[in-house]
Amino acid sequence: MKVNNIFFVLAALLAFALGASAQEMTKDQWQQEINQLTQSRTELSAKVTALGADVTTMQGQSTQIDADYQKCMDGLYALVGSDAAKAAAYSSDIEAAENKANELGRLSDADLVASSGEVDALAANVKGLWDNKLSLIPVFWDRLTALNEKVKSLQTTLANQMKVYTVGTWARDRDCLWNISKKKDIYNNAWLWPKIWQGNRDEIKDPDVIKKGQKLKIPKGNEMNAEEKAAAKKYYARKAAK
Amino acid sequence: MHKVNRTVTALALAILFTGSVVLVGCSSSPNEAQMKQLNDLKEEVASLQKEVAAKEQQKGAMEKEVAEKSAKLKKCNDDQAIVKQRLAK
Repeated sequence: MKVNNIFFVLAALLAFALGASAQEMTKDQWQQEINQLTQSRTELSAKVTALGADVTTMQGQSTQIDADYQKCMDGLYALVGSDAAKAAAYSSDIEAAENKANELGRLSDADLVASSGEVDALAANVKGLWDNKLSLIPVFWDRLTALNEKVKSLQTTLANQMKVYTVGTWARDRDCLWNISKKKDIYNNAWLWPKIWQGNRDEIKDPDVIKKGQKLKIPKGNEMNAEEKAAAKKYYARKAAK
Repeated sequence: MHKVNRTVTALALAILFTGSVVLVGCSSSPNEAQMKQLNDLKEEVASLQKEVAAKEQQKGAMEKEVAEKSAKLKKCNDDQAIVKQRLAK
């Protein structure tokens, strides 16, 4: 019995020792792993150093390019006798004109006719922008070219909507807005005279005064829009107050 | 017969005892300090791998930045040439 107990204890001890030795790392394995890791550390350290050097070089390049770019832009503005601040202001002016063109482009044809004065003003504004030498810089040139197209499109729409009537003399033609409006080939309706007035706001300040030779745009349509009605109402109220 | 059994048992006990002593006492495993060295080295390598990844990312971002700025600079030089041409007309 006693011998059997000792036998079992020793067998268990042997089994444990076998299991432990199967899981544990041997010194050779340890050494092998140490060698591999040491090599990896050396390689990775070298890589970190090389990458750091690359990044530093590129940061230097980036700074140099910034300086070159600044110099180039200053040179570009100098070519047209300008500078960065004036160019920024010019860009804002173009943006304002672009916004105006977009705003007018969203109007209905009838409303556009009523705003023909604004189209003319925009065209004049764009012409003024072209006269600035900054327009020679491609970024501005391209924007102005696009703006020109929009203005042309607005002018074409207006032209399609309007005839032109050249004012004659009172003595010979009895031309006033009322009489012009009454003509058969105009509106055949004297009461539509505010349409002519509103379609020529840039030309006619006082609807009672038109001059010989004036070329009046005749907006299309046989009804007044809200703006034309409002202008007529204001006119009649002013007359009544006199 | 009884005597033979006792001899076999004694022999088995002796083999078991010797085997256990050899396996437990004479195995060539690394000691605690060596294992610590190994673990420290593993941590160092892992940390370096992270550092390499971060640096590679930084390098990629810088490459992109430099390329974009170079393109802008090229455009500026091209613009200068165009403006000179337009002024000459």
